Amino acid sequence: MAAVAAIHEQFKYINAEILGISTDSVYSHKVFTEVSPSAAKVTFPLLSDRTHEISKAYRVLNPNAGATFRATLIIDPEGMIVTKLVNPIEVGRNVYEILRLLQGIQYGRQTGQGVPANWVPGQSGIIRDPKMIGLI
Amino acid sequence: MNSKDNINLPFCAQTTDWAPTFSAEAYDPVQKKIRKIGLEDYRGKWVILFFYPSDFTFV
Repeated sequence: MAAVAAIHEQFKYINAEILGISTDSVYSHKVFTEVSPSAAKVTFPLLSDRTHEISKAYRVLNPNAGATFRATLIIDPEGMIVTKLVNPIEVGRNVYEILRLLQGIQYGRQTGQGVPANWVPGQSGIIRDPKMIGLI
Repeated sequence: MNSKDNINLPFCAQTTDWAPTFSAEAYDPVQKKIRKIGLEDYRGKWVILFFYPSDFTFV
């Protein structure tokens, strides 16, 4: 969780808020942030989905575990899902990729340009021009 | 309803779907308080949901 906390400020800078969600109780969340050195760095709320309602609504409940998958969703300011990633059970997230995705979505919306593979902030996008089809 | 809705595929909470709204208790480690949080409190902002299997595991 420290990995997400480490770039929380960068998300806030681009008008994004972070919510952590698990099926644990809020009491567990409290102790987690108090005793775990990595969770002690967390500066965003941890939601308790004890009823599994949220995990089911987002189709990210692992029924064999009674717990959620390592799923990441980006929701735009109007309330639309703009991306959904589900990690392997054994492998943690690349938080920089999640930041890059949001930066790319915002860049694409602001410029109207296409945001190609491996784009990183500072690079230009691809201008949509029928004359360029087949030339890139 | 637009024509795309007529194909009757199951809802998968995928890219371009409306995000299901929710409200739940949360622990806020900054205020050190338990409070209710709803998705609609964040309209006008980008929201990133990090689902994780369990406290005391990695994200």
